[in-house]
Amino acid sequence: MQELDKVKLELGKIPWFQELQIKHLDMIAGITQLKQAHAGETLFRESDKEDFIYIVLEGRVALDMFVPPRGKVRFYTAERWEVFGWSSVTPSVRQRTAGATAVTETFLAAVEAAKLRELCDQDHTLGYLVMRRLANVVASRLLITRLQLLDMFSSPEENNAK
Amino acid sequence: MQNEFIFGVNSTVALQKKDFDLLLKKLQELGYEVVGPRVDEQTLRYGQINTMNDLPKGYISKQEAGRFQLIHTGHSRYFDVIPGAQSWKQFLFPSRVELFELNKNAGRWDINRTESHSPAYAFIGVRGCELAAIQIQDKAFIREDFTDPFYQERRERAFLIAVNCSNPAGTCFCASMGTGPRVESGADLILTELDNVFLLKIGSELGRNVLNGLPVESASAFLLQAAERELEQASKKMGRTLDTEDLPELLLENLDAAHWQKINSRCLSCANCTQVCPTCFCWDTVDTMSLNGTETKRERVWDSCFNPGYSYQAGGNTRPTIHSRYRQWLSHKFGTWKVQYGTLGCTGCGRCITWCPAGIDITEEIAALRKEVKK
Amino acid sequence: MIEQTLKHSTTSHTSGLLEPVWAEIVSITPEAEGISTFWIRFTDPAVAATYSFQPGQFNMVYIPGYGEAAISISSSSEDSALIGHTIRFVGNVTRAISRLKVGDVIGIRGPFGSAWPIREMEGHDVIIACGGVGLPPLRPVIYYIMNHREKFGKVYLLYGARTPSDLIFPKEYASWEEANIQVHVTVDRADEDWQGQVGVVPMLFYRFRMDAPNSLVLTCGPEIMIRFVVYEGLARRVQPENIYVSLERNMKCGQGSCGHCQLGPYFICKDGPVFRFDALQPYFNVEEF
Repeated sequence: MQELDKVKLELGKIPWFQELQIKHLDMIAGITQLKQAHAGETLFRESDKEDFIYIVLEGRVALDMFVPPRGKVRFYTAERWEVFGWSSVTPSVRQRTAGATAVTETFLAAVEAAKLRELCDQDHTLGYLVMRRLANVVASRLLITRLQLLDMFSSPEENNAK
Repeated sequence: MQNEFIFGVNSTVALQKKDFDLLLKKLQELGYEVVGPRVDEQTLRYGQINTMNDLPKGYISKQEAGRFQLIHTGHSRYFDVIPGAQSWKQFLFPSRVELFELNKNAGRWDINRTESHSPAYAFIGVRGCELAAIQIQDKAFIREDFTDPFYQERRERAFLIAVNCSNPAGTCFCASMGTGPRVESGADLILTELDNVFLLKIGSELGRNVLNGLPVESASAFLLQAAERELEQASKKMGRTLDTEDLPELLLENLDAAHWQKINSRCLSCANCTQVCPTCFCWDTVDTMSLNGTETKRERVWDSCFNPGYSYQAGGNTRPTIHSRYRQWLSHKFGTWKVQYGTLGCTGCGRCITWCPAGIDITEEIAALRKEVKK
Repeated sequence: MIEQTLKHSTTSHTSGLLEPVWAEIVSITPEAEGISTFWIRFTDPAVAATYSFQPGQFNMVYIPGYGEAAISISSSSEDSALIGHTIRFVGNVTRAISRLKVGDVIGIRGPFGSAWPIREMEGHDVIIACGGVGLPPLRPVIYYIMNHREKFGKVYLLYGARTPSDLIFPKEYASWEEANIQVHVTVDRADEDWQGQVGVVPMLFYRFRMDAPNSLVLTCGPEIMIRFVVYEGLARRVQPENIYVSLERNMKCGQGSCGHCQLGPYFICKDGPVFRFDALQPYFNVEEF
């Protein structure tokens, strides 16, 4: 099977891609590579260039930050069909704000972020669908972060000290 | 040999005031601990009544928000004074009761039950609002699925002489709550005070038995009419009113009303209202241990939804603000109480208004909430 | 004079109020930092023979001199030879419990309260969403499902804790999965040694496809977690009457008498702790109620 067909096949399995028109799926497939990462493999580090937005096809990817002297703190794991590295498609591209490490054997769709931004600029229908989806990703990630911030399981003494 | 006692339940008899001591004596002879209102520390407290001279003859009480004043006018009535902070609750649901003691023997705890019998009380002068309060507490303590043995024993043994209120005070609103000033039933005897006689309506077979042998006469039509006039006047003397229309809905559908916040700056969360309230039933347990660790006892004590510890759970207080506690109290009294027990939890006795050190008036608070919601 | 039911009489005074029965601690299983399971056996064989409970109910555990704490029962409702209480040591009474040893005797009153809807769950998919020590009151449900697996559709356990070392009953997850229960576990934060998920319990609803009209959701844990589990369920069109919530308040008497655990018209100790969500809905988002 051609590489492009494989990409299309994999992307077609993702639930939210099913609401895209064929031409839009083709456009995204054209800027997507399939990647494999072994358990423990680093996908990117904090301060790396934001080049790809990823979708987990299989496996688990941990997002972490290095906090001296605590070491690497994992604050989220992306599971099948979840997006990570999404800030690479926002208008102000910076460097990576967290690291990403494959926890298990992982298969990924890596979409070139700069090209995806271009496609969205050119075709606003596609742009709307992509950004609407990303808004959903960001909203749920924000909620999760808020719930973590509340430290729901902390002991009463710790809460009272706050 | 006595003549047969001809008066039946629901009939009304007249007892000359000078003969009232005979009734008290009869009750004492039957083993009752006779309690009623007494002048004490410039207020009225419920305590032992040996003779009718112990009753607050010639007094009235002036009551306003945060204010109670006992005044001796020298009138001839014994029951024309609206009571103070205390209610009959303290006899049926004492503020402190020992549940059991434990003694440690060879690593095991042996239980010693408190076997003492409670006294059989005869209550002299239960007002309509107070009688209604007792009936409300009955629903909380004597249920199909749970009965409080301490309350039940006291309640079953109590002899109740209710009194029709002819001189309500400024904080009274029993007419609004439908609990007074007239007592229709629910007591062993229902007393109406006139100038020279007490009219006694016989409310139970036990009440009839107690009167048997006393110098009572059939109440004349003249006396019955005089009593009727007094009671008609009484409703008009009531100082306060409360609009009870859709009360549970008003409270439970407006738990987020801005008005609740306004109470924060006035309420001291002192719990006075709940302690003087004749229907408030919340209680806590207290465990105490001897210094050598071999004896411990559990007691049941009054608690209040205004106490911070009341709503404490692991992690903190679920009602940390004063207004949330006030809202709990009021929405229970006038809202959820109805769901739990089929009645409201307020009888209009006015104690919570009189004895609030901040002068907070529930009738005003409800009216203010109603006004806010209508806007 | 008392309305209707009561007549004037003198009754013999036997106080049953707050009197415990005694039970001996048979073993103690440490579950996580500050959390252990105490396995007890009633000292009176007559009590041991007749004591039974339903999944979701709780006991009042009494330490003489210290007082009582409401503790859910975490063992199988179909095996009451030993009764398990999984206890987090956070208050005066539970800290006193933490100092007890095997052979010590404690007081028990109970069981109290409502149970999880085992009957209603039959023939349906079941989603058990819990966090921290919200798992112990649901473990009897898991055991019941395992014992009667054919009665239920798909079963999912969504469980979260603060860190990997705070997860309780971790050794049992494999046996639950063997019984065809999908176990999704997450922690709020972790280090690199943790191979599992990091996130929060409501997020675990993203991990599987729910047959919402055919599902019941059972949830217990911190109140904030419960709220967001309910929102996830409702967002997926689970009907409010198919969501069951177990709540915690200041339970004292266990009989709906002392008033402490009230939430609106309910006494949590008697009408709860397990509620159908539609019954809670009017009060669910009232702050400090």
